[in-house]
Amino acid sequence: MTALKLSDEIEQKIAELWPRFPEDKVRKVLCLPVLYMASQQFGRVDEEVIRLVAERLELPPAHVRGVATFYTMIETGEVGEFHLQICTNIGCMLEGAYDVLGRCKKRLGIEKNHGTSADGKITVSEVECLAACGYGPVAQIAQKGKPDIPLYFEKLDEKRIDAIVDALLEGRVPVELGV
Amino acid sequence: MPIAETKIVSARFDDPEAKNIDAYEKSGGYRAARKAVRMDPAEIAEQVKASNLRGRGGAGFPTGIKWGFVPKDADTVYLVVNADESEPGTFKDRHILYWDPHLLIEGMICASRALRVRNAYIYMRGEMMREYKVVQAALDQAYAKGYLGKRIFGSDMDLDITIYRGAGAYICGEETALLSSLEGGRGWPRLKPPFPAVKGLFGKPTVVNNVETIANCGFIVEHGGKAFAEFGTERSGGTRLLSVCGHVEKPGVYEVTMQTTGREVIEEVCGGMRGGRKVKGVIPGGVSMPVLLPDELDVPFEFDALQRDERIREVEVHPGQKFDLGGGRTLRTMAGSGGVVVMDETTDMTKALWRILHFFHDESCGQCTPCREGTGWLVAVAKRIAFGDGRPGDVELLADIANGIAGNTICALGDAAAWPTLAFLTKYRDEFVAKIPRAARAVTGAAAALETSP
Repeated sequence: MTALKLSDEIEQKIAELWPRFPEDKVRKVLCLPVLYMASQQFGRVDEEVIRLVAERLELPPAHVRGVATFYTMIETGEVGEFHLQICTNIGCMLEGAYDVLGRCKKRLGIEKNHGTSADGKITVSEVECLAACGYGPVAQIAQKGKPDIPLYFEKLDEKRIDAIVDALLEGRVPVELGV
Repeated sequence: MPIAETKIVSARFDDPEAKNIDAYEKSGGYRAARKAVRMDPAEIAEQVKASNLRGRGGAGFPTGIKWGFVPKDADTVYLVVNADESEPGTFKDRHILYWDPHLLIEGMICASRALRVRNAYIYMRGEMMREYKVVQAALDQAYAKGYLGKRIFGSDMDLDITIYRGAGAYICGEETALLSSLEGGRGWPRLKPPFPAVKGLFGKPTVVNNVETIANCGFIVEHGGKAFAEFGTERSGGTRLLSVCGHVEKPGVYEVTMQTTGREVIEEVCGGMRGGRKVKGVIPGGVSMPVLLPDELDVPFEFDALQRDERIREVEVHPGQKFDLGGGRTLRTMAGSGGVVVMDETTDMTKALWRILHFFHDESCGQCTPCREGTGWLVAVAKRIAFGDGRPGDVELLADIANGIAGNTICALGDAAAWPTLAFLTKYRDEFVAKIPRAARAVTGAAAALETSP
């Protein structure tokens, strides 16, 4: 048994989705939404969280682990308080996404296209298409423990990415810059 | 007129009030649903067949025929709306979800009546948090009014709609992978047959349709299939949404007629090329579709023309060797998901291809060896060409790898990586060859001479 406990929001989501699926299938169905929410609650999904989800849904841990490692929005590695995700796919690339990513990495002293600032607070990742190609370069920000930051940051340039990095360094998501 | 005069799916775009159920109803909303719940299901299916509606997610398969594959005596049928829009270049469904969520719900009610569905699902990509909130709020409003739940609109029909969110996997837009994901597993595609219409979600007959496809269903129920068909071409009814990105003056989402050509999209719909620069290439339907050269743009951007019009060159494996799509069919391009990527003369095509391949390698689900390994090889070779480290024979190698992937995988992701590779090489071959360092190229010539000497 693990000392961790799933949040009330997750229990509420389980209760909400349960009647919408066949009784004999619903535990497995819930694996993905519960893992995703657990990833936000705990900041990442490690072996302990996998066991917790497996126990709660009465699923084999191997299945839960397989799902957890398949989806990019379920964090399995170490990430900072903020996770700034910059799309560099074709639409954004044509609009200068690599300049924006490069600027970000430089400001935060990150070398690779996925890395965390020295103080461990901000993780920057190059991500794949966010389906906003006409308004690129586009980024999104995830914050540990906050399940829903509904913001995309569109039409980024050096000035806008600087303002976003400034805000993150101050410890806040720059809501005013979103769309 | 390239821009559609009658807007079927984009009429409420940019109207912030439309998300509100009262405003939606005031502008004619839920009339189709009220009509549908009292119609004979077979009659709705008949109208959709007559409408020539074709799937807007990528394949362009006739919707009425897809619905027709569902066994008539099935006890449980599921409807799943594919809102996992992730193909680079494509951002149209996101607009429907955000601006006009009730249009989707109404379309789902109509489709559910036709297919005798009791439980319908919207599989929405996880990144779309803003859209999730909007659609969930719209569902709540519809439930509160009695338009969803038990005995909807006072009829004998029950219908529940549930949103299920993805968590970051392009492959889940493939319909069988979507079903694997919706069942709570990894998004692994399944072999077809059996097709989902026979054996889909939880082993039951299931229809998976794209957001835009379903959003058209209300119009068809209200005005009849014939009226819808008349907007389009002989074999493809209605209008279509294009999402245009890249080097045009006004990127965005536009509802255009089926007859609209690529040149009209750029010049008339999107205000021309940015800065007056020249167009170099246009991807017509998401990055998996073969790219078009500037002289191939006078073809209507619709399903049949893009596949068959002889003004579009056939994709080759090597110069003079046509790519075989199977059964001797050749490949020009396809309408795909309506994601139009416009690239101007400043674009480095070797880098464009490398970035596209990087995507497919990243998103390969890992089940089939040709795709899992092959996409990795493609991106490695494309990268070294793009960044000046190309080796002798790399262009031929790239083509051979792509040709080895195509047609040899469970789902179309393998083809989605192979087709753009072969198309870029067919159409911009000189640019790829020129990118390989001179010294390396000189060796190529010598090596080639040695190989062919007796």
